[in-house]
Amino acid sequence: MGSLYSEHRSWLHACPAGLKLGVLALLGAVLYAVHGVPILGLAALACCLLFASLGPATRPVRRLLRALLLACVLLLGLHAALGQWQAGVLSVLRLLALTLLSLALTVSTPPSDLLAVLESALQPLQALGVRSERLALQLALMLRFTEHFFVLWRRLDDAHRLRTGRAGGLRLLAPLTLRMLDAARRVADTLELRLGD
Amino acid sequence: MPELQNVTLIRGQRTIFEALSLRLDAQRIGLIGDNGAGKSSLFRLLCGLDLPSQGSVRVAGVAAHALSRERPGLIGMMFQNPDEQIIFPTVEDELALSLTRGARVRKDALQAARQFLHARGLGDWCPRAVSSLSQGQRQHVCWLALLIAKPQLMLLDEPFASLDLPGQYALDAEVAKLDQQVMLSTHQLEHVRRFERVLWLEQGRVRADGPGSEVCAAYAADVAQRQSQSVAANAAPPVAAGDRD
Amino acid sequence: MKPSQTLAQVSLFAALMAVFGLIPKIDLPLGVPITLQTLGVMLAGCLLGPRRALHAILLFLCGVALGLPLLSGGRGGPAVFLAPSAGYLLGWPLGAWVTGAVMARLPAASPRTAALSAVIASALGGLLCIHACGVLGLMGIAGLTARQALLGTLVFVPGDLLKCVLCALVVHTVARGLPDWRLGGRSTP
Repeated sequence: MGSLYSEHRSWLHACPAGLKLGVLALLGAVLYAVHGVPILGLAALACCLLFASLGPATRPVRRLLRALLLACVLLLGLHAALGQWQAGVLSVLRLLALTLLSLALTVSTPPSDLLAVLESALQPLQALGVRSERLALQLALMLRFTEHFFVLWRRLDDAHRLRTGRAGGLRLLAPLTLRMLDAARRVADTLELRLGD
Repeated sequence: MPELQNVTLIRGQRTIFEALSLRLDAQRIGLIGDNGAGKSSLFRLLCGLDLPSQGSVRVAGVAAHALSRERPGLIGMMFQNPDEQIIFPTVEDELALSLTRGARVRKDALQAARQFLHARGLGDWCPRAVSSLSQGQRQHVCWLALLIAKPQLMLLDEPFASLDLPGQYALDAEVAKLDQQVMLSTHQLEHVRRFERVLWLEQGRVRADGPGSEVCAAYAADVAQRQSQSVAANAAPPVAAGDRD
Repeated sequence: MKPSQTLAQVSLFAALMAVFGLIPKIDLPLGVPITLQTLGVMLAGCLLGPRRALHAILLFLCGVALGLPLLSGGRGGPAVFLAPSAGYLLGWPLGAWVTGAVMARLPAASPRTAALSAVIASALGGLLCIHACGVLGLMGIAGLTARQALLGTLVFVPGDLLKCVLCALVVHTVARGLPDWRLGGRSTP
């Protein structure tokens, strides 16, 4: 299954996952609370620079940058249509900043490290009946399945292009769902065997 | 030592096995036969993934289906496609999963997985993303994940299917080194020819059961014969009623 | 259902939500962006049933809350639960549950009836429910009046109706391809 984590080590790889996640959450809250275009503009610029500084480590998520830019354009367009240019610019700057930070976190943090942080964060909830060890596994599995969806989507799309000359798009959703339900069944078998229950 | 007693397995409308009894006592057992003969179904019964409609499947004296926490230590299975059994994105996490049964803490499991990899000279694989590995390497990860759990019985369902030739030889060598009991199903007969016992399954029944060299030869001959029969049947031109002379 | 099956399926549909969040938004001809995550809610409800769909969406939101950038646009982290659109987010688990509960009670004897039931279930759960929560959120967090919030939310209704249809198409395919699948998590297929 394809992974968004990059093995090219950047300076950010050395930072502990908990720290990165905490900073991301904090910055997210701050950016939403702030409303000035200059500040947000600076923040977005800083995030761009941070992202760029990771160099080759950003390779796994470069294709997502196009999606990000598209989202920014559409967001601006939506706000423009409502006559709210200022709000549009603010939204776009926040989007840029937070997305680039999140992507930087994704490529520089091995999923297992993220998971360790989640598990410790969830442990207090055990008193309420939430099984944090199972939850961690479910989250890891969710990430794995997410990667697998993309890999499978790519394969189906390639097959579709070969046979029809066009991209598959949403037409592939139904066969993709079938394949993934199948994959889930096999993964369930593996889980049952390896975990014992 | 696994044992089937009078096992009948019905799936939907199909009867897969009927009153099948087997004592699987040899250290190395091969399983051969056409597709659909029931090889994978037999493995699933042994693992306890499927429950027989009748009869019992026991592993180490316990009903296979009733196993839960103790199952990974008793029986392990490797499926055909590594991509469908690798759960975690990195190698060390994947191996650590095999150890996180019962109350074992994840950190300990991770540590043990790392030590295991280092001991095999694969320390640099620890943090690697599974997706960056080749097909053969991924299968090796599945193999390691199986080994690390130290099951008493290992079931390998067509493990050679996606391996290149060097990979096949490497897996042969690994299997030969093992202490535990191994059952292996395959279409590549040369891998089980030297096994002390090979079962030839045909439509849910054991057609032959004996030393590897004999059973493999018998199966190969049978396949060749069926093949030449079907070629002859297709080659003969259709004869219309009034054309014979 | 075996715990391993439940675990795998819940994680799968949480992943589907993540996938919909990670792919770029699609544009309706009028330029109104459609995000697909409500489609994920509808699919979870129709295919998993109320309890497991609820778990799946909660699992997904857990991931988001803990910082994973899985909402469309790459958003994530606890801050998103403070944004004006937070009402919609909190409407997702409820919407999944309602969709599942309705789907379980509607007929699904043939793929076609299953698809029709899916449209109704997704409209009630995925559309009505989520928009209701969204409107409440807009009123509470963004300070809009009821009228403004309702008008604001109406923009997205056409897109969501399309998603109900898409959901039904997927349900139709699943009903054909996996005839034993228990739509809505019902006890018999």
